[in-house]
This record gives sequence, structure tokens and C-alpha cells, in this order.
Amino acid sequence: MPDHDDGVQLQVQNVYMAFGGVGALKGIHLRVRQGEIFSIIGPNGAGKTVMLNCISGLYKPQRGKILFEGKDITSLRPYQRARLGFSRTFQKIELFRGMTVLDNIRLGRHLHLHANLWSGGLYFGRAEREEIANREFIEREIIDLLEITHIRNQVVGMLPYGLQKRVELARALALQPRLLILDEPMAGLTLEEVEDMARFILDVNEDPKWRVTCILVEHDMGVVMDISHQVAVLNFGEKIADGKPDEIQRDERVHHAYLGEKEDLYVTRR
Amino acid sequence: MATMRLPSGTYHQTYQQDQAWWQTRFVWLRMIGLLFILLVFIPLWMPVLFPDIGLYVVSVANLIGYTILSAMGVQLLIGYAGQLTLGHSAFIAVGGYTSAICMLMFGIPYPITIILAALTAGLWSMLFGLPSVRVKGYYLIMTTMAAQFITVDFIITQYVAQIGGRGQAFSIPPGTITFGPIEIDNDIKVYYLMIALVIACMVFVGNLLRTRVGRAWLAIRDNDIAAEVLGVNVVRYKLAAYFVGGALGGIAGSFWITSIYAVSPEHFTWSWSLWVVGVILIGGVGSLYGTVFGAMFMTLVPEILRFAVAPLQPVFPQLMTNFQFLKESVFGLSIVLFLLYEPKGLAYRWWQIKNYLHLWPFSY
Repeated sequence: MPDHDDGVQLQVQNVYMAFGGVGALKGIHLRVRQGEIFSIIGPNGAGKTVMLNCISGLYKPQRGKILFEGKDITSLRPYQRARLGFSRTFQKIELFRGMTVLDNIRLGRHLHLHANLWSGGLYFGRAEREEIANREFIEREIIDLLEITHIRNQVVGMLPYGLQKRVELARALALQPRLLILDEPMAGLTLEEVEDMARFILDVNEDPKWRVTCILVEHDMGVVMDISHQVAVLNFGEKIADGKPDEIQRDERVHHAYLGEKEDLYVTRR
Repeated sequence: MATMRLPSGTYHQTYQQDQAWWQTRFVWLRMIGLLFILLVFIPLWMPVLFPDIGLYVVSVANLIGYTILSAMGVQLLIGYAGQLTLGHSAFIAVGGYTSAICMLMFGIPYPITIILAALTAGLWSMLFGLPSVRVKGYYLIMTTMAAQFITVDFIITQYVAQIGGRGQAFSIPPGTITFGPIEIDNDIKVYYLMIALVIACMVFVGNLLRTRVGRAWLAIRDNDIAAEVLGVNVVRYKLAAYFVGGALGGIAGSFWITSIYAVSPEHFTWSWSLWVVGVILIGGVGSLYGTVFGAMFMTLVPEILRFAVAPLQPVFPQLMTNFQFLKESVFGLSIVLFLLYEPKGLAYRWWQIKNYLHLWPFSY
């Protein structure tokens, strides 16, 4: 576990976001420290995904600021945030369905490649060397890590759901992110796949080669409580609790938010 | 389409081999055979072996080549970048006129005017790609149709065609179009120019599609939100797609003036814009080979029909006079039938046949 007093990497300050008259986020503050797994939980419709979309730049908050390593990024477009090291997966899988697994991952390397219209079209020399080096990186670092060797040449649209989730993580990792945003990576997976996914997240968080900060939205409380360093609880657009997993588990307000019944917090698929 | 498995006994040892276009010796042989047919058999042997139809075959091949070049930009925009376009004739026209004006008024050699035509048409296309930043799908059809009517029916007909008081047509005197010392004055020379341009464009687009830019286009087509989150500047790549799509159209236009004696707006009709969309629908959307198959189908069917109706002429005297109508009907009918029975186009069928033969006779 990283030391919790060191640098805050991402700071969400008083973010407010409303759709029509519905307040989706009402003044949220979050502090995500370098190298930790930060989970956001809450009942359905609490505003978790809206929060992630604000962080990754798909929504622009109406009030408030988002700081990344001290820099105000509130008005940056998603691709500009990707350059700073943001990467994410989606709740509903958003892969490029017509492309193969390899090509999906290659697209994740977009920012690390340099070929332009002209050199790419000619493909001589630099563009070719770049593609080969890129392939080597993907094979060694991504495909091996996520154990998707056997499907690398298949079209993603045809893969089973669990593997698609894994390919989406692979694509996000190919960017070599510094901040990885995971929107329900375990939703709809079998127990075995959930365990694999949790292992991969821990790998990229703890391996000195990666050391990726993760922001995780997840409904599987067992996983959240096991792997998170910090947990924030949202309910109807407001943050009702924030702390270490064991503090959250004891928090009365959190119990009330989850149907008001104590046991329900611990009811998971396990 | 998943990547094809290698035949047993062939192994790749480097990523270079694995990412090559032609991976097995069989494919190499096939491609060399194809090049032989294209470069030697059709232009040199056909006219000698079959004197009565040989040159006709070459001229039909030129038409196919023009269709391929015209449809390639549309394929790139619709099939790869996912941006609808229904006004591609406009950019072909810009290419044709740029080439003609540069040669006739400034005396620039033809090979250079091809490049200038590509650049001008590309930039012009980018201008009409700007709405794609804001609008998608059906609305984009309208803005690209505007490209056709603004460019061809207004700017070219009203202003460009009047340059130098030449009236509605820019006539190209014989001997204007030269490639170095060679004067392009007959169908066989046009044919070689066509083959060179088609191969160059196909290689260029094919290479783009296996590097960063092309993958960004495919990503925008499949899922623009995910593409943007992963660092693709969507606006920039959409405009780049319009630039390259338009530039390919410009090359097509620049090529086509070698086959006509006067450039006039009637060569670049809106129906040709629709025709090339039909080409990629029938050939296969999102397949480079599909463009070739589609162009062959759409050119050969009317030609074959022409032969088929000739013997019926004494029985139905109106048939020849109504041939244009018949051709359009077959065009419409074939698109309907293809959408019903072969929605993935000829390229998919080709892939299936290859796959079947690949595993033949044990197809399990």
C-alpha cells in the first residue's frame, strides 16, 4: 500500500453537473493520490459514471474544477487528457467492433506512434520500423500480461463478453496511462473472470513497471473492499462518505444509502 | 474478417513476416501472375490474339480503372472513416479541371498536374468536410450533396468553364498530355497510366490503413467516443480523411482527362457520385479489394448486357434505344439484390471462397 500522505495526483473540486433539472453531481470533492486504487461506489443513479465522464473529459462540469498534478484540466478535450496520461474503459463495452484484437490494442498506442499521412502511406523505413517495434511492445507488455495471446487475431465483435472486457483493459493499458479510469470492469463477468480482472488491476497498480493510479467504479463490493486503498460513496449526486474500505464498511450513512439494510452491503455474488 | 490462418508448414519467425501483405509463396505467385496478366497479357497480347475485341477490352479496362480511382476516395470516406459522401464527382471535377487548366494555361507537365490536382481536390474536399465536425449520418448526406451542386453546377459551370472564353468545354489538343517524352495518345498508353495510378493509390491507401492514421479512421468509424478518449483528435482525422478522399478523387479526375477530348461539366454528374457509392456497396464496404470487385461488376454488367441484347435487336427493335433505361434498371435491381442477398459485398464472398479453398478438402 502506498503511503497516503504523498502527492495528490487528481483533484476534483466542487464539481457540479445537472442535466435539465436533475442534479447529477452536486458539488463533489475528491482527492486521488498517486499510485492508489480509488473506488467510487454508490447505488444506481448516484452519479458515478457522470463523475468518470467529467474526469475523462466527455462531460464538462457546469461548476467546479478538475486538477491533474496541480494543473487545471477542466476545459481540456478527452484526447488532450489522453496526452497527459488518462485512459479509460467503459461500462458498456466501447471497442472498435470491426477491428481485430491486435488492431484495437494498436489504436491504444496511437499517441506513442508518429507516422503521418505521408510516411504512413509510403510505409518505407521509419513507419515500418515503428510498426514492428510497436508490435513487439504490445506482444511483450500487453498481450502477455492480460493473457489474450490466443485471440489476438480475432475480430472483437465475435468474442465472448468476458474477453471483450479484457481487450478493453488491454487497449486502455496500451496507452501506458498514468491514470486509469475503470467503469464497472467486473459487471457481467463470471466469478473466475472477476478474479482474473482483479488480479490484472492489482498487477498494473503494483508492478513497478506500471504503477498506474486507478479510479474504479464497481458494484461488486467484495472486490471493491478487497483491492481499494480509498473509497468514496456517492448517493443522489452527493458524496456521503470517503475513506479507507474498513471505515466505509462501518459507516451508517453508507448502509442507509444501500436500501437502508445493513446486510445488503455485503451481499455480493460470492 | 479475421486474419486468415497460415497453411500448415509455414511459420513466421519475425513480426515483419507476420505483418507483411503477401505472406506465403502461393500468394506471391498469384500476385505475380496477376501482374503479368495486367501488364503484359491484356495490353500487349490481347490486341494481337483477338484483334476484333482486344482494344475494346483495353478500353473497358480503362473505364474500370477510372471507376476504381473514383470509388477509392468514397471507399476511404464511407468504408473506412465512416463519413457519408454523396458528392464525390465534385472532387473528381476539381481534379480534372485543375489538371486541364494547369496544362493548357500554364504549360505545366502532366505528371506534376496530377499531384496539383490531388492537392487542390483534397483541400476542396476538406472544406466540405468541415460540417462533419458537427453533423453525422443523414445530415452529412445533405452537406456532401451540396458539394456536388455548388462545385459542379455552380462554380465550374458558371465561372471555371468560362475561363479564356472557351465556352462550356476545355478542349485538349492532341499532344498536350505527355508523360516525359511519351505522348499519351492511345488506349494502351492510357491503360498503363491507369495501372500505375491504381496500383500507386491502392498501395498508398493500404499502407495508410495499417499505420497510425488509418487505424484512427477505423476507430472513428467504429466508435468515435472511445477513439477520442484514447487520444485521437477526431476533428483532425475526419478532415484528414476528407483530404485524402478528395485527393484520390482529384487523381481520378486528372486521369480521366486523358480519355476525353474536352473537359466539360457534363462529365462530372451527380449520377456518377451515386454510381461510385453503388460500386462500394456491391464490392464491399470497408474493403480495398471490394472497390476493385465493385468497379468490375458495375462496368462489366452493362457491357455484357450490351452484347446480350444485340441478338434480340431484330425481335425487339426498341431495345437498343431504351438501353440507357435498361442499364439504369439493372443498376438499381443489382443494388437491391445485393443488399438483400450479399450485404457484405463481393469482397466477403471472395474471402469465403478463399477460406473454403484454403481448408479444402477438409473444411472443419
